[in-house]
Parts: sequence; C-alpha cells; structure tokens
Amino acid sequence: MTVRPGGHDEIEALVVDRYLDSLLARRPVDRASVSEELDATARLLTAALPRFHPSFRFEEALASRLATAAGGGPERGAAVIPWVDRGTTAGAADRSGLARPVVIGSVVTSAAISLAGAAFVAWRRTRPGDPMSRAVRAIARTRIA
Amino acid sequence: MARTALGRVARPISAGRSRIARLDLDRSLVQAAQADPARFDALYRKYVAQVYSYAVYELRDQHEAEDATARTFLSALAALPRFREQADPAEGPEASTFRVWLFRIARTTVAERRRALRRHPQAPLEAALTLPTPGDIAAEAISRDEAGAAWRAIDRLDEDRRRAVILRFVHELSTAEVAAILGRSEGAVRVLVHRALRSVARDLRGDRQSGR
Repeated sequence: MTVRPGGHDEIEALVVDRYLDSLLARRPVDRASVSEELDATARLLTAALPRFHPSFRFEEALASRLATAAGGGPERGAAVIPWVDRGTTAGAADRSGLARPVVIGSVVTSAAISLAGAAFVAWRRTRPGDPMSRAVRAIARTRIA
Repeated sequence: MARTALGRVARPISAGRSRIARLDLDRSLVQAAQADPARFDALYRKYVAQVYSYAVYELRDQHEAEDATARTFLSALAALPRFREQADPAEGPEASTFRVWLFRIARTTVAERRRALRRHPQAPLEAALTLPTPGDIAAEAISRDEAGAAWRAIDRLDEDRRRAVILRFVHELSTAEVAAILGRSEGAVRVLVHRALRSVARDLRGDRQSGR
C-alpha cells in the first residue's frame, strides 16, 4: 500500500486515529471529528470483537512446560514442537499441543491401566482355560443355540 | 549514546522515529527473566491471553491457536537473552517494546502455520467467534445480529486491514505498536485502519439496506 505523505487520505486517517486513541482508552471522544457512521462502526467493533482466553488447563500446562524449558530442560526453543496436520487427525484427543506432557500425564497413566485390563480380558477369552470353565462355556453355548 | 537499564547501548532516537521508542513497562520483568529464566513466568502470565487471542483470530481454531501460543512462548523464552529494549525513558510509560517483540514472534509463528494450512479450508471468522467468551460484558451488550454483521464485514477485509483492525480494536495496541508488529510505517497503519473502518461501515450499511 502506498501512502502519499501529507495526502488527504493520511490527514483524515490521522484524525480518525486520534479519535480511536480516545475511544479505546475510554476517554471522552470528540464525535464531531468523525462521521456519525464511522463513529457507530468503531463503537460496534469495540463491542463486537471479543478477546479469547485460553483454557486454564492449557495455560497451566504451558506454564509447566516453560518452567521445564527455563530449567534447561529438553524443550528449549520451539523447534522441537512438531505442527500437527489437523487435516488428517480428528479432534482434541490427537493434539500434540501443550497439555500432554504435564496435565495429561495422569490420564495417560489411567489409560495405560485400562488398556492393560482390556488386553488381559482379551487374552483370557482366547485361552482354553481349565476343564470346569470349558464345561461351563459349552453349556452356555448349547443354551444360546 | 544512552545506556538502557538492561546495560545495553541504545540507539539514539531521532525525531522521525516511531513513537514505539518509549519506556518499556515490562523492563523489570524482562530484566528478571533475563537474569533467571525461571522468572519468565510473570511475562508469560501477562501476555498469554493476548497472544492466544491473536492466534485465534488468525487461525480460526482453538487447538491451532494453542499450538501457536506454545511455540511463540517457547521461542520467546529461548530468544530472551537476545531481546534488546529500544525504550527511551523520556518518552513516557505507554508502550512495551517487549510486547511488540513478542507479537512479532507470534506473527511469524502464525504466518508459518497459515502457509501450511492453505491447502485446508479455513473456518469463517464467525465460526471462531461463536465460541463462548465468559465475562465479556461488552460483547453481551450488543445484539447477536449486530455482532454477526460486524464479524462478516471484518472477514471480508483483506488480510492486512483485518490484522491491523484486530490488533487495534481487540488488543488495543497503539498505532505505533501495530506499525512495529506489522513492519509498516505509522502512517500506513493509520490509513489501513481508516480504510478498514470505512469498508466495514459500507458493508454494514449494505446489510441494513438489504434487510439482512
């Protein structure tokens, strides 16, 4: 964009800029300095564009991660963080973001126990078992049939 | 040449130089973090919401924004020893050169991600903005229709104008700070914001006339 120094556009922009300085600082504004339409638009944008806040969980996880990095941990610098291709992953469960190393640590532990439990049940179901168990299963099969 | 509180030699500030050259309000926090990286936490807590919010507007996705925020702060922490304040205490306590520096890192991080995302469809701004924003009294004070119309108008702006408007209106940065972040002159940023406002006003007028 080319701006001609001292051009009409720039002078008008300077007036609007001063008006915005006051508006955004919640100081009394000189409404006469800008058109009514521009004043209404600026006020609408001030109210309509929200600020976003990260979740508490994310904020704390990143704080811990930064503390680790500050202590000379393995995450010194951002180059070690791979971007996740969200076009091929689904949802937050696959995220490689922040939350994993600290907050999700305990969840990973629980999940590991559950997986071990599921694997154990699956293993038991494939085993022939003792004679009594085989007899019970045979009776159950005949009842179902 | 003036010596800054960080013990570095500051360049003399010429009359035509950007108004960003002011006392950095974060000076003590930056000094503490440079002396002991464990104290970076205070700077992180102060700016995490701003960086995250900037990333949400740019990337339109909470998870992408979280990743970008993490990368920004990890990069900032790693580069902090190289950060040089460009503040002149005589110019008053209004701006933070640290904040500008941090937003520049965020901008680079987000730009890198946006380039990678070009091949994927991007959600409209409205989709990102419909996320709950608890405690945003101002947003609740206007009607949903008005807000939706404003978001659509913002979405139709070209990237430069939209970015300047978001930094100015959402993050309430000064024109000097926006100029420093975007790498443009203050005059160019003033014109960008002015044209963006006119364009949004025109769109809103069109919406009203067509009864949308």
